[in-house]
Amino acid sequence: MIEAGGVRLEGVVKRHGATTVLHGVDLAIAPGEFFVLLGPSGSGKTTTLRILAGLETVSAGRVLMEGIDVTAQPPGERDVAMVFQSYALYPHMTVAGNVGFPLKMIGTPPERIEREVLAAANKVGIAHLLQRTPGQLSGGQQQRCALARAIVRQPRLFLLDEPLSNLDAKLRLETRLELHRLQRSLGITTVYVTHDQEEAMTLADRFAVFIEGRIVQVGTPREVYDAPQTVDVAAFIGTPPMNLVPALWDGGVARIGDAVLPVSRSGPRREVIVGVRPADVRIAAQGIPATVERVEDLGDSTIVSFDSGDRLLKQKRDRVTDVREGDAVRLGFAPEAVHLFDPATGERL
Amino acid sequence: MNGQRPLRKLALAIVAGTGLAVWAFPVLWALLTSFKTERDVLAYPPKFVFVPTLDNYREVLFGASSILPNLASSLVVATLATALTMLFAVPAGYALGRLRYPAKRVSGFYVLATQMLPPVGLVIPYYLALQKVGMLDTYAGLVAMYLTFSLPFAIWLMVSYFEDVPLEMEEAALLDRAGRLRALWHVILPQVRGGIAVTTIFVFLNAWNEFMFAVVLGGNRVRPVTVAMFNFISVEQTQWARLAAGAILAMAPVILLGIFMQRHIVKGLTVGAVKGGGRR
Repeated sequence: MIEAGGVRLEGVVKRHGATTVLHGVDLAIAPGEFFVLLGPSGSGKTTTLRILAGLETVSAGRVLMEGIDVTAQPPGERDVAMVFQSYALYPHMTVAGNVGFPLKMIGTPPERIEREVLAAANKVGIAHLLQRTPGQLSGGQQQRCALARAIVRQPRLFLLDEPLSNLDAKLRLETRLELHRLQRSLGITTVYVTHDQEEAMTLADRFAVFIEGRIVQVGTPREVYDAPQTVDVAAFIGTPPMNLVPALWDGGVARIGDAVLPVSRSGPRREVIVGVRPADVRIAAQGIPATVERVEDLGDSTIVSFDSGDRLLKQKRDRVTDVREGDAVRLGFAPEAVHLFDPATGERL
Repeated sequence: MNGQRPLRKLALAIVAGTGLAVWAFPVLWALLTSFKTERDVLAYPPKFVFVPTLDNYREVLFGASSILPNLASSLVVATLATALTMLFAVPAGYALGRLRYPAKRVSGFYVLATQMLPPVGLVIPYYLALQKVGMLDTYAGLVAMYLTFSLPFAIWLMVSYFEDVPLEMEEAALLDRAGRLRALWHVILPQVRGGIAVTTIFVFLNAWNEFMFAVVLGGNRVRPVTVAMFNFISVEQTQWARLAAGAILAMAPVILLGIFMQRHIVKGLTVGAVKGGGRR
């Protein structure tokens, strides 16, 4: 059974007129979990979050919180707090007014509001800004103000819609760490929407990958990275994403063009898609013939792009010294690094 | 490059000066005339140097043809019309701007369509309607008729202000347990303060300046200042100096309102132009 803070979606369908945005989403989020909804834009992840918040109705299916059906409950009765992508701060109120607003709405006495506002502001480091208005804050400070407003009344569910997307790269990394620390210290079940797979990998206890209105995989970051369930997930997770090459699976080998490469499993002869993470690509004596097209030095690592005739393959390595643009090489990989997918369904074999 | 700047400034000053002169000329002319005697008014060529007199003001304020009761009448009509208009226009504008309901497009178009009708075509039906219900020459009757054109105009203006408030702000308030009414009161209305000020001023000015409906639907009891001034023009003679004094007195509240609310008006007018301008 679901304990305090647990959330469940059962067969949730969302239609806007003739278009279906969500095709029957099932999801169970454990109490206290940091759960990320990950997917490209238009995949239905934000709609799912808004359904959890009660800001969107469902066309079919149920939303359960702590085992209770809240599908028909308006947003105010669900005891959830949300940080919007735009922060949605109230521009005519001070930071203190913004953070204290949810408490004021439930009739908290003023002295108590003042205390709680200060406590929440301290947790996100904006206690010195309480008398400013949102217009006088930087982007990062506005974001913290929105966070403080969300945590001030200790909701049972904490929803975040791409909260870091409006921050610059450096601030995004810092805030990511703080967000994780904050969630752990509060222990509030958190659902976080992002299209950034790095955020999902670093923040999530578990995440769900959304593609075209469907959840295609749910798991821990490690599980999803190590064993993507479909070609789409494989192509979405990882920087750069997995190399995907059509091949003929024949016994214990994969034939890619003229190259014959050993794989860890043997099966009946059939067409497959071979997937190899860029970090697992090796330059070998035998393998797929390719030309070095581009060497991108990122300082701590290097991305090498190879042209193998009809497609581009990527390799990620610590440093590069042995190849230069224009070199002709052969590419191979360890048999256990190979992922195999069905070319017709896209499913993992 | 250096030579262009002052030249540009001079050209701008000339254009602005010309515009201002064209706009201000009738007002200044009326102001001058209001301090002249009837004899000076008719002097040709016009006199710019004359002995100023306050007789005209004394006459139109405290004389036999005092316009004070008419100024009061105008104030009652304009204030009532404005208050009632805003009372309905704010919630209606919010509904049209925010809520999703099936006939939204149609009702929005209807509101605009009422603004396209020539008012002169409505005077006779309005007269007949008010006569039937015995409300000719009453404040209630005149105000009710003013509502028929000020309300659509005010709703239409308010819709654009409400549409500028980000939906997410309202959703945030709903999640913060405000409920729709308290979200409107605590979060949405404060954002459209400028818009409410602008709309109020426009509606008030329209009602204050209105002449045609007032002259037809009013009478001896309800006679706004615009109609009263008309009395200075008669078949035998036109009392230009008194008319001018009356006009200055009638214009004064309008001009003062404009000057005091200038900041609000300009802000309110530009909010829609710059996206998010109202949020900073």
